[in-house]
Amino acid sequence: MSISWLQAGLLGFMSVLAASTPAALGTTVGNYTLNRPLVASLFVGLILGDVPGAITIAIPMQIIYIALVTPGGTVAADLRAVSYIGIPLAYVTCVSQGLDLAGAEAQGIAGALGALVGTVGTVMFYGTAMMNLFWQHYGWARLDKGDFNVLTKVEVFLPIVTHIVISFIPVTILVYYGAGAVENFKSALPMEAWYMKALFTLGSLLPAVGIAILLKSVINKTTDLIYFVGGFALAKSLGLSLLAATAIGGMFAFVNFQIAMASYKGASSGADDEEDI
Amino acid sequence: MKKISKASLSKSFWRWWYGNLTCFTHEHMQTFGYMWSMLPIIQELYPTKEEQAEKLRTYYPFFNTEPQIGCIVVGITAGLEEARANGAEGIDDEMINGIRAGLMGPLAGIGDSLIVGTYIPVLLGIALGLSEGGSVLGPIFYIIVWNITSIWFQKFIYDKGYELGGNAVEMIVGEQAMAFRESIIVLGRIIVGAMAGSWVSINTSVILTYGLDPETGDKIPVFLQEKLDGAFPGVLTMVFVLLCWWLMSKKKVSPVKVMLLMVILAFVGVLIGFFDPGLSY
Repeated sequence: MSISWLQAGLLGFMSVLAASTPAALGTTVGNYTLNRPLVASLFVGLILGDVPGAITIAIPMQIIYIALVTPGGTVAADLRAVSYIGIPLAYVTCVSQGLDLAGAEAQGIAGALGALVGTVGTVMFYGTAMMNLFWQHYGWARLDKGDFNVLTKVEVFLPIVTHIVISFIPVTILVYYGAGAVENFKSALPMEAWYMKALFTLGSLLPAVGIAILLKSVINKTTDLIYFVGGFALAKSLGLSLLAATAIGGMFAFVNFQIAMASYKGASSGADDEEDI
Repeated sequence: MKKISKASLSKSFWRWWYGNLTCFTHEHMQTFGYMWSMLPIIQELYPTKEEQAEKLRTYYPFFNTEPQIGCIVVGITAGLEEARANGAEGIDDEMINGIRAGLMGPLAGIGDSLIVGTYIPVLLGIALGLSEGGSVLGPIFYIIVWNITSIWFQKFIYDKGYELGGNAVEMIVGEQAMAFRESIIVLGRIIVGAMAGSWVSINTSVILTYGLDPETGDKIPVFLQEKLDGAFPGVLTMVFVLLCWWLMSKKKVSPVKVMLLMVILAFVGVLIGFFDPGLSY
């Protein structure tokens, strides 16, 4: 199967709305909704005409990048590329090879492609931030002349130019020509080859980095890892679902809060009781 | 007595909600979003163009935080700006920027670890479960629940920040807030563990030795993976996560470099026979 220019253009347009940090639809709807591969797969599926297939193929990609935190504006990978280049290309590859989309092979290819195109997103992210410098410098110059309306221009309209150059055009072209290239995936890149095995392995190793980034944001001292290991055992050894593990975690959090408040009240006894927040 | 109208407050909120990062650069990050959001308030409170320009200058300095939880700071400065326009003492550029600078660090920490690091992955995790078999329930669940809860939360803390003004600072960095935050983070740690156990799966293909089938006499391989899982299910996965964590938090290696290391480990691991996904067309 191939992707038409119209489909490629629509995917490029979606990548503009969903660009990582400086998304055209803002942080909540752009970055944290449309940018996530699982959400994107719904729209990719609508564009390609197979919603269940696109969602199935997006699941391993979402898992790789589930824990992506961008502290201080440094990104490891911008998911717009994973979502709007990776998902369509993985889908086309697997359909062209006649693979079962939910099977281990298709899921492996999806993970490997997701790992690969993440780097394209990183380049896009830094490109966007660089190009926006022009608009901000223009904004400062106009502000000095007392032109307040320039703020709306800098915030809403000029970044769209950045997105057309950095997101829309590259994504459209990469998806259109990429879909042609992956047709020959099978002969060019045999699954038994050592480098393909390495790529599949990479797809299973990368989620560990995402989880570790997340872990770093919740661990203050090494002994805090006890909770992490306990949570791991809840899921892996006891086979609890995430919600069930949340219930047990909530219990520990509640006990911790009671203890912290008791020691807080103890320390400030004599002073007036403060209102609850 | 000047009072900011509901319309201006709501305009300010939505401008921040939308524009906090639309023109992101590494030079000024969220500064332009902040100015754009404060403009309606400044224009309403101060009649002359000169005064407006002067007050807008307060918001020229660098600003960056987790922008969703950062709504509260914009709300606080709206409250402070109203008090300043009414001639309250002690509210000057320095005081406002002191509060902004003092809050952006702690709030970024809370926002990154609680909203982006815990809440979003948990919602995505539930959505992944709902998506099995390619069901649209998963994406739709995430779109609805995340946007409604997140926008409600942002509006709520913006309004709270405006109401409380400078008093909101205690609410964020006070002792009770600390106890609450620390407890939520305990939950976060357990969930991150559960996420690692559910979603990461790293297996080795190493064969330790061969045993003999007592009936047929065939050789059967003894896998290292099975022995490891017998001791602690998924222990190899856990070791990898902890290795990445150790590199990033104790050795200060950047996430991109850790990813590169994984690329190397994947290639070397396959070449020496440690990893073998065992897939074929």
